[in-house]
Amino acid sequence: ALNGTEEKKFKRFESYKRDNQFPHQVKDLAIYVDRKAHTVILPIMGRPVPFHINTIKNASHTPEGEFTSLRINFLSPGQGVGRKDDQPFEDPTAHFIRSLTFRSRDIDRIEEITKQITDLKKDVVRREQEKKQMED
Amino acid sequence: MIRCTIIVTEAFEGIYLNLSKQPGTTRFAESGWGWKPSGGGDTFTLDHTQIVQAQWSRAARGYEVKVLSRADGVIQLDGFQQEDFDRISRLFKVWYSINLDNKEHALRGWNWGKAEFGKAELAFNVQSRPAFEIPYSEISNTNLAGKNEVAVDFSLPADGNDTGTNGHLGGARARGKKAGGARDQLVEMRFYIPGTATKKEKKEDGED
Repeated sequence: ALNGTEEKKFKRFESYKRDNQFPHQVKDLAIYVDRKAHTVILPIMGRPVPFHINTIKNASHTPEGEFTSLRINFLSPGQGVGRKDDQPFEDPTAHFIRSLTFRSRDIDRIEEITKQITDLKKDVVRREQEKKQMED
Repeated sequence: MIRCTIIVTEAFEGIYLNLSKQPGTTRFAESGWGWKPSGGGDTFTLDHTQIVQAQWSRAARGYEVKVLSRADGVIQLDGFQQEDFDRISRLFKVWYSINLDNKEHALRGWNWGKAEFGKAELAFNVQSRPAFEIPYSEISNTNLAGKNEVAVDFSLPADGNDTGTNGHLGGARARGKKAGGARDQLVEMRFYIPGTATKKEKKEDGED
């Protein structure tokens, strides 16, 4: 095996295989964090659209009057400003969704969702690092 | 011998029209189809000559029949059962001579793929399957937000309760108001498109 110098490799992941694996909450046309599947499900034009936590960079929300605005940033090429852009991508020439912004009246629920996304991201990154340490 | 005309219809309950908050009944007949909100109100009707394309997919409430119409663009009926497919695809074939395409969506959870422009919608395809589609009627603005970055803004009613149908049709939404039907409403989507910056500059300068 190579020592230290090996490149970071892209690891494949998948949210769901079949549409009957969606949690029943998708019927609400609201954002839902499915911890078990490491996935955030977003309502886009009446359809539940899964995004694996590995595609998500971060999430933040800003209350604006009667609505609160939730912005989810995704990992995409060309974001490594001022630091090493060493994030591996399966296909850097593809089109990427870079961010999605939602508005909602449920300020408390959006705050909770933001926390759930942040926590899930942290947990997955931490577990990945632990695994790597054990492999070394 | 008495001859009478029997109007045959196929009815489905618990169907949502264009992200309506309330369900209704969809009735298909040879002349076209209609949707009537369960709580009462006007019926939405579509003449069979309006139907250009029809697609069957999993949606939020259940399974969806998405119709591309000549005058009204994309019309969505959500809330069908999986086993309704045979009945509906048959009636579309027999009555409307339209093939109900069974379209499976991408469930991988990836944020990379290919944004493709269809007849009435922008589709984001992941490994040749759409992850989602956006009818052009729901887009209010697009702009180049940065190098290789395209921002798409969605048209949303200033007041979330404005459906564009004046309270008729059980909260079903007129074109340009669809995103407002969700509890969490999509406002903006940004794409990273490699190579856009150079192409755009050429175009804006006129001939090159």
